[in-house]
Amino acid sequence: MMITREWQFALPEKKHKKKKYFGNLKAEVIDAGLCCHCAACASICPVNGITAGDAPIDFPNWIKECVDCGACVKVCPRWDYTPKNGLGEYIEVTAARSKRFVGQDGAMVTEFTASALEMGLIDRAIFVARDSNWRTRVVTIKTPEQLYDRKITGTKYSYADVLPALKDAVLKSEAVGFVGTPCMVTAVRKMQQAFKKFERVKLAIGLFCTENFYHHDLYNFLLEKANADLRNAVKTDIKKGKFIVELKDGSKVRIPVKDFEEIIPSGCKVCQDFAAVDSDVSIGSVGSANGFSTVMVRREVAKNILDYIREKEYAEFREPKLEVVQKLCDHKIKIHPWPPKKKEEKSEE
Amino acid sequence: MIRLSKVKTDPVENLKRHAEAIGEAVKQAIKPDRVTVEYPRERRKYPECFRGFIVFDKEKCISCFRCAQICPANAIQMEYFDKAYPGIDYAKCIFCHFCVDSCPTGALNTSKVHDVAFKSMDEMRLSAKQITKVPEIVREEKQTVEYYVDRNVWKLVRKKELDRLEVPPKPVKVKERRAACTEPESCLGCRLCASVCPQNAIKVEKCEISIGEEVTGTGCVLQIQTDLCTGCGLCVRQCPMQILTLEEVGE
Ligand SMILES: Cc1cc2nc3c(=O)[nH]c(=O)nc-3n(C[C@H](O)[C@H](O)[C@H](O)COP(=O)(O)OP(=O)(O)OC[C@H]3O[C@@H](n4cnc5c(N)ncnc54)[C@H](O)[C@@H]3O)c2cc1C
Ligand code: SF4
Ligand code: SF4
Ligand code: SF4
Ligand code: SF4
Ligand code: SF4
Repeated sequence: MMITREWQFALPEKKHKKKKYFGNLKAEVIDAGLCCHCAACASICPVNGITAGDAPIDFPNWIKECVDCGACVKVCPRWDYTPKNGLGEYIEVTAARSKRFVGQDGAMVTEFTASALEMGLIDRAIFVARDSNWRTRVVTIKTPEQLYDRKITGTKYSYADVLPALKDAVLKSEAVGFVGTPCMVTAVRKMQQAFKKFERVKLAIGLFCTENFYHHDLYNFLLEKANADLRNAVKTDIKKGKFIVELKDGSKVRIPVKDFEEIIPSGCKVCQDFAAVDSDVSIGSVGSANGFSTVMVRREVAKNILDYIREKEYAEFREPKLEVVQKLCDHKIKIHPWPPKKKEEKSEE
Repeated sequence: MIRLSKVKTDPVENLKRHAEAIGEAVKQAIKPDRVTVEYPRERRKYPECFRGFIVFDKEKCISCFRCAQICPANAIQMEYFDKAYPGIDYAKCIFCHFCVDSCPTGALNTSKVHDVAFKSMDEMRLSAKQITKVPEIVREEKQTVEYYVDRNVWKLVRKKELDRLEVPPKPVKVKERRAACTEPESCLGCRLCASVCPQNAIKVEKCEISIGEEVTGTGCVLQIQTDLCTGCGLCVRQCPMQILTLEEVGE
């Protein structure tokens, strides 16, 4: 027998021996309320059976169609979960504002991506745009010019299928970048560990994050509680404990974040990672003045981009307030305890 | 304004033209010099490259689906006997012969039969078994007819030849290729490649992983047996991580 190549790799251990891997994921992560909707499993599934979008992760016909490969379990950040937290390791922290782009705060996410494209470090990046209803829509950015679109920059407080688009990009290109919430960044690191192909993800920009929402929940909540129709919104933001919806007519609706408790997805309630500790660079609004973004450079690749931005004078810089970021990291640990308190578990059921 | 008036005819001239026409008719009846072909009794001689019905050689087919995949008219349906073989629906086929050109082993070849004449739509759908032979056609004269102008005397000449329907076997110019994995470190272990391979040349199986003597857990093993592989490329198209390719082998 002639054999060209033989390759062996480990499979994750099943916790429910009789079930297929998706059955394991469903029992241990999704039905246990730990799923953060990062859609890593949906992106890796070879039979494209796992659905994400604006509904809980599911694989309607898994008993029949799951080929039991274990890939979803390998990449899921909530399988064998221990929360990450704190500020994480970093090389440099600064506050900055892009001179070229308009974004949520200082548009530094956009600036980092545009500069990385210019430097040739990546040749495409996955971004989250939106439709007029504020439903998220994933787009692939190939040139900095695309980033002048205001629907592409700015924060959308809803789940987005970034990772399925990232997988497609990785198959097409050698050097890809993406922007995502901390849980997505952690998932991508797991994907990189499990499957070499994902080493092609050269730039992972993490956003500071306390929670995210299902689009339909957020939409209905804002309409019912504050009579604010997202279709008329031009910007959404969270500032000083208030969710702010800026409407077309210039008025602003403010709702305390505390009131959102009922629509916070269970997966976010067990998450303690505020500062995206696994990213190449983490960017957020707290810790810097209005109109500026806080930038935490964690890895060499991001440091090079920051040096390039300085050299080209694409951005202006200020002093950051790291203690505010630290405060929010601690706050997140406090409001999302691990293991979850008994009372909370009951209310979920 | 256009005025149409009745044509005045000269009776003498008229009679003369009638006589001429009758004369021509008599001449054609005795020694015809028409340019039409009396199809189906005889048929025209077509150029060598003219594409006809497709003939299929079951022995050469490796069930790679390439013909079915490339057909722009969706005329090819794979049928399952011991393996998958192509059947052709001539109601759809546009005679582009992409399938013939794409067949890596020369199992599909052209023929010199071009008579697409069927009695019903159902009859036009030919199964793999039906296309293994050139369709039989009965002609009274096994002749082809060709017309050309003889430049010496500037006259149209009608040339008859014996109708030859056999086609030389198609030369197979494809290089030998075998499946190979470029990046096994990215394999999902999904077995899609193994399940699509008509040759069972790929194995993706559960195995025990051990360090030294001690079994440490379960794993998966990916194996390609190149001696079984025909180079059809089905697995390459199937792999969701795009880590399989065809590598050229030999000199
Ligand atoms: C769900 C969520 C919660 C957040 N919570 C906080 C917080 O509590 N505290 C804080 O300081 N900062 C938070 N941020 C980050 C903050 O809102 C800004 O995104 C950040 O300051 C970057 O600003 P910028 O002007 O540099 O970004 P921009 O240049 O405007 O770019 C923003 C980028 O975010 C991406 N994006 C937008 N929505 C999503 C989404 N739903 N999923 C994935 N990517 C998305 C877009 O692709 C865009 O590229 C949160 C962001 C999100 C998405
Ligand atoms: S946490 Fe992510 S990978 Fe795990 S089940 Fe949920 S969406 Fe899938
Ligand atoms: S709070 Fe955690 S789980 Fe929820 S979106 Fe943010 S990073 Fe993901
Ligand atoms: S000749 Fe063209 S249309 Fe007809 S079966 Fe072949 S590929 Fe299809
Ligand atoms: S291993 Fe791939 S290329 Fe080889 S016969 Fe099987 S499917 Fe075809
Ligand atoms: S199809 Fe690709 S990913 Fe799936 S088992 Fe085969 S080689 Fe691995």
